Amino acid sequence: MFLLEHDAKTLLAAHGAAMPAGALLESLDFDTATLPAPPWMIKAQIPVGGRGKAGLIRTANSADELRAHARDILGKVHKGMTVRSCRVETRVGGADETYLSFMLDPVSAGVRIMVAAQGGVEIETLAATEGAVRNEVAMPRLHDLNACWARLTAGFAPHVAAAINSAGPALARAFLEGELSLLEINPLFVHKDGTWTAGDAKVVTNDDAIYRQPVLRALLEQRAAAYPEAYRKHRHGCDYVVVDPDGEIGLLTTGAGLSMMLIDELRATGLKPYNFLDVRTSGLRGDATRLVNVIEWIAEGKRVRVLLVNIFAGITDLKEFAQLLVEALARIPHIKLPVVARLVGTNLEAARDFLATHGIPVSTELGVALEHVRRKLA
Amino acid sequence: MTIYPRVDNTTRVIVQGMTGRAGRMHTRMMREYGTNIVGGVSPKSDVADVGGVPVFASCRDAVAATGATATVALVGPAQLLGAIEDAAHAGIKLIVTPTEGMPVHDALRARAVTREAGAMWIGASTPGIAVAGQAKLGFLPEASLLPGPLGLMSKSGTLSYEAGYRLVQRGVGTSVWTGVGGDPVKGTRYAELVPFYAADTQTEALLIIGEIGGNEEEDFAATLTEHRFAKPVFALIAGRSSPEGVTMGHAGALVHGGHGGWAAKKDALEAAGAQVFASLDDMTNAVAAWHASRLT
Repeated sequence: MFLLEHDAKTLLAAHGAAMPAGALLESLDFDTATLPAPPWMIKAQIPVGGRGKAGLIRTANSADELRAHARDILGKVHKGMTVRSCRVETRVGGADETYLSFMLDPVSAGVRIMVAAQGGVEIETLAATEGAVRNEVAMPRLHDLNACWARLTAGFAPHVAAAINSAGPALARAFLEGELSLLEINPLFVHKDGTWTAGDAKVVTNDDAIYRQPVLRALLEQRAAAYPEAYRKHRHGCDYVVVDPDGEIGLLTTGAGLSMMLIDELRATGLKPYNFLDVRTSGLRGDATRLVNVIEWIAEGKRVRVLLVNIFAGITDLKEFAQLLVEALARIPHIKLPVVARLVGTNLEAARDFLATHGIPVSTELGVALEHVRRKLA
Repeated sequence: MTIYPRVDNTTRVIVQGMTGRAGRMHTRMMREYGTNIVGGVSPKSDVADVGGVPVFASCRDAVAATGATATVALVGPAQLLGAIEDAAHAGIKLIVTPTEGMPVHDALRARAVTREAGAMWIGASTPGIAVAGQAKLGFLPEASLLPGPLGLMSKSGTLSYEAGYRLVQRGVGTSVWTGVGGDPVKGTRYAELVPFYAADTQTEALLIIGEIGGNEEEDFAATLTEHRFAKPVFALIAGRSSPEGVTMGHAGALVHGGHGGWAAKKDALEAAGAQVFASLDDMTNAVAAWHASRLT
């Protein structure tokens, strides 16, 4: 998952990389005594880029100013993301802005390290300039990564070289230990004495490793509300994302690719899907609980008026799935969403007959199912 | 790399994890399709055979007894790296791993191990590979399989089943279907199979079913140009309307800060001469039209 900056810094610190002190504001009800020393930076915590340009990162010199910014920023929506918290840090002044990142290199099976003596918000533009960003790929072992620093910083001003030679190994360890997919520090503030401070931190974790990553697991459990998708996957074993809070069609689907495609297609024809779902029918194992959970989540959508079931799985026994679906609906009688199903696969006829007796129309063609959906919405 | 995913009904295949629930079921389904399953591997089980197929303690034993050259590993994500190492060290040249949820740092290691051993690793999180009418290694459903001239590569299982099914309904079949899988670090990427599909005489056109996240579609596009790939290329890319910053099911399907977005993939593929589609109907119509035109 893509961590919010505050959590990224907390996670890196837990893996031994020194991070600046910061506090998380989730409301206006805060005590300045619990904050690091002023002057401050106040930064909106949302998992998308362009925060600075959108006015969601600001400076504050007094508690009143900080409170005013917090009032203004909290609740703002940027790229579809609502700001629910802000990180407050001591502002770093008079430092050079450099760049340092680690990412997986899927081609070489290694880790790509990127370093630039000049970082900051224009890094993407800079990256197009020959030689402005240096990079090297090493095998994913600490000594291999650490063998790169001298070369990567050759010719840099001494204080910049010193800072990257100190930050690099600390962050390399965090990257490997934490089994991260991406770790980017931009800007990496470099002070005149060669010490450094992480200005921002962009971290993508690998949630498949969560079973052996206690730091990540603890973070996710503590901050479940900030990562509803990852938390649901961790707890319930299925992928669920609300893609449009105003959506009208709840999707009960299996398969990530097919679910994504269905959302694209519904939107292209003017329909409004509410959620993405990979329910993983193979993981149901005769228990309707996961279906009950999913339908309850979908029913939280205030405008959801129909549930579209789309199951195309070569191995799922559709009769068994149909029985679980009916059982799930019976367990939540207060949810009265009409259901439309599109099924393809093993035991289709039996599933169709069974669902028909429960008033659920089944088609094998998606187009026909969408006609049923339109009729329910009309 | 000289090992290609063109299997047939004589290719000797073993199933790692054969005695488990998924192992038993898929062994049966693959055999029913025609796959030549010659053995199973289960390090801890005392089961001697599954449906008459002998079970061994390791890949080395299985290879020694059966001469297997390919494996399908149906083990849990925490056991997958070990299973791949076992297969690679036993000299197996084609390793197919449908397991979802492999830790990505394990995948880095597995990729290094398989390349060192000269094996082709397909996966993880792959629906499998199939040569229609001959053999399948993995989960690809029969309703989506028909022998034909279309090479197919896909990240997603279900989306490619749906695409294959619709194409079958229009009479379009596949030559070699390779599910590369939806993980960000994988055994074999689209781009690495371009030379194979270019040389494969039974492949007359290529369809890739991609999705947002990562840069595989872009790498594939660059490789098409580099190799002057002359066959028609069609691409269906899912996730055009997916939100930024959220993982869409597949670990690799994550757009962040402008990386891995839909538009960039479309632009790269079109620049390489591919036709790019955002809907199953449009893709199916275009491929069916190509298929009809080649007969005239």
